[in-house]
Amino acid sequence: MADKINLTIDGVEVQADPGSVIIQAAMDNDLYIPYLCYYPGMKPYGACRMCVVKAEAPTPDGSYRPLPGSPASCTTPISEGMRVETNTDELVSLRKGILDLLISEHPHGCLNCHRIDLCGPTDVCLRHVTVNDRCVTCPKNERCELKDTVRYMEMELTTPLTYNNRHLPLEVKDPYWDMDMNLCIVCARCVRACDEVRGDSAITLKDRSGRSIIGTSQGTSLLESGCEFCGACIDVCPTGALVERDYKWDKAEKKVTSTCPHCPVGCQLSLDVSKRNKIIRAIPERTAEANRGMACYKGKFGLDFVNSRKKIDKPMIRNNGVLEETTWPTALDFISEKLLNYRNGEFALIGSPRGTNEDHYVGQKFGRDVMHSANVDISSNTHPEITKPLGDMTGRRTSTSRIWQLLDTDCVLVVSSNITESQNVVSVPIKQAAANGTKIIVVDQRETELTRYADIWLRPKVDSEIDLIGGFMRTIIDESLEDNEACQSCGEFTEFRNSLWDYDLTDIEATTGVPQDEIRNAARMFANAENASTIYGLETISPQIREHCAKAIVNLALMTGNIDNGPSGIYPMFKGANEQGARDLGACSEYLPNYVATGESAVGMTNLIESLNSGKIKAIEIVGDSPTFDEDQVGDFYKAFKQSELVIAHDNFESALTEIADVVLPSSTFAEKTGTYTNLEGRVHCVNPSIGPSSEADEEWRIFSQIAQRMGASGFEYRNSSDVFVEIQEKVSSYTNLDLDKVKKNGQIMRKENQDFQFAVVTRAEVSGDTTNSEYPIIFAPGRVLQQPDRDAGIDTSSDKNTITRTEIVEINASDASEHGIAEGDNIKLEGQGFSMNGIAHVNGIHKGMAASTSLFGSLVEDLANSGDNDPVLKSDSLRLRKVRIEKI
Amino acid sequence: MTVENDSLRKQIKEAIASQKRPTVTVLSSLLAIQDSIGYIPNEAIEEVAIAMNASINSVFGVASFYPNFRFTPPGDHSVEVCWGPTCHLLGAGRVLDEVLEQLGLEDEGDTPDGQVSFRFNTCLGACSRGPVISIDHELYGNVTDTQASILLRQLKDNPKTS
Ligand code: SF4
Ligand code: SF4
Ligand code: SF4
Ligand code: SF4
Ligand code: FES
Ligand code: FES
Repeated sequence: MADKINLTIDGVEVQADPGSVIIQAAMDNDLYIPYLCYYPGMKPYGACRMCVVKAEAPTPDGSYRPLPGSPASCTTPISEGMRVETNTDELVSLRKGILDLLISEHPHGCLNCHRIDLCGPTDVCLRHVTVNDRCVTCPKNERCELKDTVRYMEMELTTPLTYNNRHLPLEVKDPYWDMDMNLCIVCARCVRACDEVRGDSAITLKDRSGRSIIGTSQGTSLLESGCEFCGACIDVCPTGALVERDYKWDKAEKKVTSTCPHCPVGCQLSLDVSKRNKIIRAIPERTAEANRGMACYKGKFGLDFVNSRKKIDKPMIRNNGVLEETTWPTALDFISEKLLNYRNGEFALIGSPRGTNEDHYVGQKFGRDVMHSANVDISSNTHPEITKPLGDMTGRRTSTSRIWQLLDTDCVLVVSSNITESQNVVSVPIKQAAANGTKIIVVDQRETELTRYADIWLRPKVDSEIDLIGGFMRTIIDESLEDNEACQSCGEFTEFRNSLWDYDLTDIEATTGVPQDEIRNAARMFANAENASTIYGLETISPQIREHCAKAIVNLALMTGNIDNGPSGIYPMFKGANEQGARDLGACSEYLPNYVATGESAVGMTNLIESLNSGKIKAIEIVGDSPTFDEDQVGDFYKAFKQSELVIAHDNFESALTEIADVVLPSSTFAEKTGTYTNLEGRVHCVNPSIGPSSEADEEWRIFSQIAQRMGASGFEYRNSSDVFVEIQEKVSSYTNLDLDKVKKNGQIMRKENQDFQFAVVTRAEVSGDTTNSEYPIIFAPGRVLQQPDRDAGIDTSSDKNTITRTEIVEINASDASEHGIAEGDNIKLEGQGFSMNGIAHVNGIHKGMAASTSLFGSLVEDLANSGDNDPVLKSDSLRLRKVRIEKI
Repeated sequence: MTVENDSLRKQIKEAIASQKRPTVTVLSSLLAIQDSIGYIPNEAIEEVAIAMNASINSVFGVASFYPNFRFTPPGDHSVEVCWGPTCHLLGAGRVLDEVLEQLGLEDEGDTPDGQVSFRFNTCLGACSRGPVISIDHELYGNVTDTQASILLRQLKDNPKTS
């Protein structure tokens, strides 16, 4: 970083980063200049003029030249030696004038009242101000920046009580989000957050001058305006104009920073907790390096499950077929006695991706050391092939670069990964980068939000990705676009290069259904970029070929020198919030702690069903957390569990799992836990108890320790989760650098293990997955995007909730269409196992044997908001490919 | 990939595509559409958003900024009263009152029967003949309130001539 700049603000000498504006320099030095439209991290806007200052800059002859007028400190850059006055009488009176004008359009009964600090919502107003005009009844009361500013400015009581009431209707029909434009001060922070930061432009400043206000195109619903329900607009709104609907009026009794339990980004969220001990709001932390003030619909609006009264609050043991409440000692005694019978490899322990590192570590230690079983895994580890090849070939167990380094990459390749929904905040820097010219290549059968940003969207035939990536690599070799130095420094380059001769582009065009030229163009775009990053989730790829596909992807990154080169990196995208920690700490079937291969054929999620069915596993302890098995297979899992002699379930809620269980233990939600999570970058964050223990529910590490001790084991005498963390640091080398204080502050990245890079030869597989299925011959690729301006959305606004009413369009191939007697525009029906949808046929160039349809993200949000599930986000439908049959109706 | 509302969208797309200017912008495209179909329907916002790679909301932000864009189909006839300084001084006020009365309106807008779209104009460029009104884009100078009233009655008497 360049040298700091020295300047004086109100006589205080301060230093600030070059390029800062005055107000930011003041903020960085804990000095306050009143402001309303500025927001740290967003471009200055200069709309409110509250931040006016007097400033003078030194000239070469030693004198000072005043800047003309009273410049806005949010738009004026600092310069060396500058002197700034922020509080002269003139400035104060200017500001008061401005504020007077501002509140002449804002209900301000309380704002200029001498009882401003005394009244609460239940007080009888002494000034006969109507309810709507009082701050004390505003949802943002005492969180409102306008009120704070008015207070700071000590406004006189001379402003008349009347104000220009806009009489605008409240917008309260969209999910999660309430809007009262009568309270808006038109600072445009929300519009800028949505546009500049999120890249969505789902809201806009409409009209002009006196009527200018926030809204959507033609006042349409957010469900179709391109909103991703991230809440960024709400987070920056200084007034009560935009607020979260749930617990709208509730006040925070305390604030606790913790880690989001919904995905491996690990967003740091400041949680407002009410006096009734509920999480009432989540506000992403601006200073957290993982999310930089961002969150998504899940973290922002999907935490209410922790407040549910339906949580299990007592251990239960099944007696004569009925679960009966019992005490912890009884339940633990019961379990430890039973488990003694299964210490010969017949026991499996399945943790939850929401477990803390401490839970994972103690869990696997219990499973391995006490139960003598290698069968330890977590329920989200259904795609171990995503991360394994990267580890084998590079020694890296996390993404090789950090999330926000994506801002600085020149090209991003996204393979089969719906990150805008599954790991949302990763897409924020990508969308920002795309707006600045970063090239985006998407390989996916599904139309996802990122395909809308893509410079090149390739839609290969199902399971032909290995060939496609091979085609990229072949092009790169053919055109000598590889990074020779990088290639030579990796092992097995020659073998790898030779293996590429098999990848003949004419052939690949046929297997992938993607024209050669497009393959070559994409390859060139990726290889020619100074820095290129790869993101892959393998979400649409059949299990049999995932590992090969991941290898091919890593090869591509290696041959173009895109690992450990500046910002470029490779990002495996798994889904569980703390899956990373589970692998690091050996709570998975492939590894012991420290990535020591288990060496035996352990039972994990990928072979659990067969092992239960064959009787290899007779007792299973599963941390349900309402389990996240591969959705298609949930039923199979439950069926298999029934084969087991003993099922011990830890869960938050009663579920299909607890119905089967012999013993049910109440498990703490993330809001009651103390521990750490590791995110996809390898950044370790704290999970802090926000609502604290609210029932008898307990944390897994303590439960396992108690069972272990009852079974006579030693080494489980942990007093608290920090004791466990200390032991983790002794046992797991990549965690040794961590300092719990730093982790607590904003998270800390674990140590990278360095290892020589290796290519892996991937032979062209003769894979077609198991695509041929006579009952369901078509593969359906569901897509989802924020906005489809080429279609009429069809929103029903007549009831008290906006709903999307349109019929979806289904893309099908011409020959499939004629085979089924379907013509353009016909109504058709798709049917698969446990799935059916109706739509309108659109015959286009999609591959034979494939169908696709793109819905609006708004529909998903609608479903989540209306869902009666205990924890709706967990069940939200991911976009997986399905086998279907098609018929005309 | 749309199946809906094809003909309107086609017309809009053509309007966007047929602009003969070096830089095509959101604004120029909106103008082209209004010239072609007389107003900015929802589909126009959407098509401009697609063509300009912007969001519908940003396009609407632009469109709603300019009072000249209308979002509903115009009436069969257009009536404008000049409200510029010259006409104002020369007695446009009386003319305006008469016109509003005749049309049954209180402000700019369309008559309920959809016959007439009425607007103010800040200067019709014929100050020397003020007060000026324009009916179906034809200028009438030195009008008195009585003349205005006659002109409007003529309009009403032969609807849909334009
Ligand atoms: S409620 Fe009435 S008395 Fe109390 S602060 Fe507001 S305006 Fe003043
Ligand atoms: S919640 Fe919607 S409108 Fe608000 S910033 Fe996010 S995308 Fe934009
Ligand atoms: S809604 Fe809030 S953030 Fe947006 S312009 Fe109004 S006051 Fe500012
Ligand atoms: S991106 Fe992930 S961690 Fe962040 S709020 Fe969303 S689900 Fe939570
Ligand atoms: S904060 Fe500087 S003008 Fe609004
Ligand atoms: S002021 Fe009316 S024509 Fe110019």
